[in-house]
Amino acid sequence: MGVYVYAVTAADHPARLDGLPGVGDPAGELRTLSGGSLTAVVSEAPDELRAKRRDLAAHHAVLERLMQDGAVLPMRFGLVAEDEPSVVAALEQNAEGYTERLQQVAGCVEYNLKVSRDEDGLLRQIVRESDDVRRLNERTRQDPGAHDDRVALGELVSQEVERHKETDAAAVVERVVPLAVQHSGNAPTEKDFLNASFLVERARAEDFAEAVRAEAERRGEEYDLRLHGPLPPYSFV
Amino acid sequence: MTVMQQSNSGGGRGGSGSLYDVLELILDRGLVIDVFARVSLVGIEILKVDVRIVVASVDTYLRFAEACNRLDLEAGDKAPSGLTDLVGDATESGAKGKSKGALTGAVEAFSESFQKGSDRDAEPEEERRTKSSSSSSSRSSGTRRTTRRKEEEES
Repeated sequence: MGVYVYAVTAADHPARLDGLPGVGDPAGELRTLSGGSLTAVVSEAPDELRAKRRDLAAHHAVLERLMQDGAVLPMRFGLVAEDEPSVVAALEQNAEGYTERLQQVAGCVEYNLKVSRDEDGLLRQIVRESDDVRRLNERTRQDPGAHDDRVALGELVSQEVERHKETDAAAVVERVVPLAVQHSGNAPTEKDFLNASFLVERARAEDFAEAVRAEAERRGEEYDLRLHGPLPPYSFV
Repeated sequence: MTVMQQSNSGGGRGGSGSLYDVLELILDRGLVIDVFARVSLVGIEILKVDVRIVVASVDTYLRFAEACNRLDLEAGDKAPSGLTDLVGDATESGAKGKSKGALTGAVEAFSESFQKGSDRDAEPEEERRTKSSSSSSSRSSGTRRTTRRKEEEES
């Protein structure tokens, strides 16, 4: 059966969980387990747990509720302890480390920023900037059989695309990172050249969001900036 | 310019669209306690595939070249063909006869289940493609995907 673990908080966290469903169907009942100066928020683990929308949403909702009342260390989705004593033992064994991390994220929230750019706009810029690209582009347009040139063109463009994405990503981060306590780059996806999380003090959250808005304004229509938050500090524990 | 911000002052509200966008944080970040079991979750590793592996290939070069060839250099934002479409087509009719693996299918359904009520469909495209190119064993993907999707819908 096992115990599903959502979060670790300080023992003085109020953990107001009434009315919230846990993971599983029927939903597991949320409760807390104490271990020294720490508390774990848990529920009975469902027999077969998968990353269903309902369960992920439940996990996330518990953390969002907890973060309203104090510092929280969010667990990664899907962690199951063998039984209650092993949860308590884990809290006690790692008490020092968890307490330290709770202090680091206290008063802070995570913002996740994803940025993509319209591909055609980027390609147009690359064609504009590079004589070699322009030359190869013309040649391959006129001669469908120019396979080697086509590969050479693509390789060149591909390198330029990567270069632009890296430069753009670094530039966006530079603009907003002064307002954050810490930042953590996640792997970019094919679509989003930037996928980064920022740990931001609550008091500066508005300013941070404003800085992102200003950057979006500055970048113009080709760019799509998606800001998510405030979130539990998933990326900073 | 587009800025979309999800702020959840109500607590636990967040629509499925925004949940999808923070999926990798919920699944892939967060604290781990080594002695606890991690439930096996089909498809998670796919989120971590390094896109650079895909970028540096002749297939990708040819797609970029074709996208450049088709580019209307005078156009503003009304270019006829997005790269995404091109890449999608190339994958479907790929010379090596790539087909979606079972894992990929599961992720596809999984992603879709997060997108109900949202019209975004570009991201799973990327994940599907990424996986296709590194997957060697792929059979009965269609069936598997259908089954899986049904289960998700029932949930």
